[in-house]
Amino acid sequence: MDMLSDVYYQTMRDLRSRFRMPVWIFLSLFQPIVWLLLFTQIFQSLSQLPQLGTVSYLQFFAPGVVVMTVIFGSAWAGMGMLQDIDMGILSKMLATPVTRPSIIIGRVISAMVMLVIQALLIFIIAVIMGVKITTGVPGVLLSIVIISLLGLGLAALSNGLALLLRRQEPLIAVINFIALPSVFLSSAMMPAQLLPAWLNTLRHFNPVDYAVVGVRNLILQGYVWSDLRTCLLVLLAWAAAGITFGALMFRYKAE
Amino acid sequence: MLNTLLRPTSGTAMVAGFDVSTSPADVRRNIGYVAQDVGVDEHATGRENLTLYGHFYRLDNKTIKQRIKEIFELVDLTGYEDKMVSSYSGGMRKRLDIAMGLIHQPKIIFLDEPTVGLDPQTRARIWDYIRKLAKSMNVTIFLTTHYMEEADQLADRLAIIDMGKIITSGTPEELKRSIGGDVVTLSPCAVKTAECQEFLQRTKSVLSNKPFVVGMQETDTTLAVYVQNGESAAPNIMRILASEGIEVQTLSVSRPSLDDVFLKYTGRNIRPQEGAPTTYTEVARRRSRR
Repeated sequence: MDMLSDVYYQTMRDLRSRFRMPVWIFLSLFQPIVWLLLFTQIFQSLSQLPQLGTVSYLQFFAPGVVVMTVIFGSAWAGMGMLQDIDMGILSKMLATPVTRPSIIIGRVISAMVMLVIQALLIFIIAVIMGVKITTGVPGVLLSIVIISLLGLGLAALSNGLALLLRRQEPLIAVINFIALPSVFLSSAMMPAQLLPAWLNTLRHFNPVDYAVVGVRNLILQGYVWSDLRTCLLVLLAWAAAGITFGALMFRYKAE
Repeated sequence: MLNTLLRPTSGTAMVAGFDVSTSPADVRRNIGYVAQDVGVDEHATGRENLTLYGHFYRLDNKTIKQRIKEIFELVDLTGYEDKMVSSYSGGMRKRLDIAMGLIHQPKIIFLDEPTVGLDPQTRARIWDYIRKLAKSMNVTIFLTTHYMEEADQLADRLAIIDMGKIITSGTPEELKRSIGGDVVTLSPCAVKTAECQEFLQRTKSVLSNKPFVVGMQETDTTLAVYVQNGESAAPNIMRILASEGIEVQTLSVSRPSLDDVFLKYTGRNIRPQEGAPTTYTEVARRRSRR
């Protein structure tokens, strides 16, 4: 009970402070739209690739944008934790009876709420731009579960890194190091058949790729259960690993 | 350690009747902690900061509302409840910071260097709030400071900690009396020089066997001579030193202050501007008089 209430209030605090930055909110929502427009324009000629079949590049790339947005949204979740450390808020909080895990869980959930809003917006824009979602609304909901798992693991990892590194500069460096390469090391931008062999092998070790494949299946093909099962299992494991890392760092670095 | 942020490596400590190692959660429920650095959320209002903490202490909404009204009055922030903390001045933030440690009516409140880095005016006001707090809330205040003046002003009981050990404790008055009478401070020079050192050593040896001298303590540039009666000792000292050919630049007679107490017990002067050459913390404990 205490835990639930603490998580609720921590989440609300984090969300409130996010929503008090109108510029941040606006750009967070606008950024994915820019990507969707920009990338599909740049790679327009890729639509002629035989590997894409009858699918347009926009249709192919939409899942990629959703996953990219999740990555860039959740990977920075640790910055808020750093700020709390720097402002003395964390140590003050630790002297209260607040349940310890709620401090991290609240931040992660608040990041998730933002992600879901962003993802829904992208789906809506994509549909307006002409993307057909084969599985319809249930498919969108299942997609949201998939990306939430990816974001959950990443946000928890980011919070753990913040506690481990303690400073902004190294945290920014690490996140930059991970974020964009993890998109390139997947089939988000290129059909897997067109990737060089080594990349095609490597992507199977990248949780991002499972999310991309899962969401893309739901949009383009329908319920490919064998792929979906693997995707959900891998991402569940990923989320669990991220949370474990975050919790361990909190236990040893914050308390 | 007493506020459970650090775990003891050995030994036990009881706070508000609970062991800090075995039941930290019970300790936390009964204490308020106000750190040296202000720990308030700038991007929230005063009320939001306090409400959040109210929930952490499991208070219900009605109690929280009621308490916020009382506490904002106590720290004189009424009218600022719904303003963003980022618009508060430094002194106001500190007051809010203290208020956050009071929301659950703790039995003990830990104030760690509550006025460090504040201007004298703000400091005097914070002192007023601390006095008010002790009077109106029936709470034990555990305050650490390295401002002797602050300890003198606020403490009912005081302990001096040097190198991690309590070296003496008592009321400020008791401690001052323990020095014995008055302090005559002699100074031959403003900066530390070899000449100055020689002067201090010679003066010390000349005065050491005089019956009216209770004790002596030197710093880099001064020599504090503890005597029974300052007014009569001062001319005496001047005469004795003059007959030995020692010239005194400045001489002052004072009632002992806590600075003298600190100096006597630790053999060191407080020089915070030098980044505290020795570890020292002085602990003043104030019990509410109710």
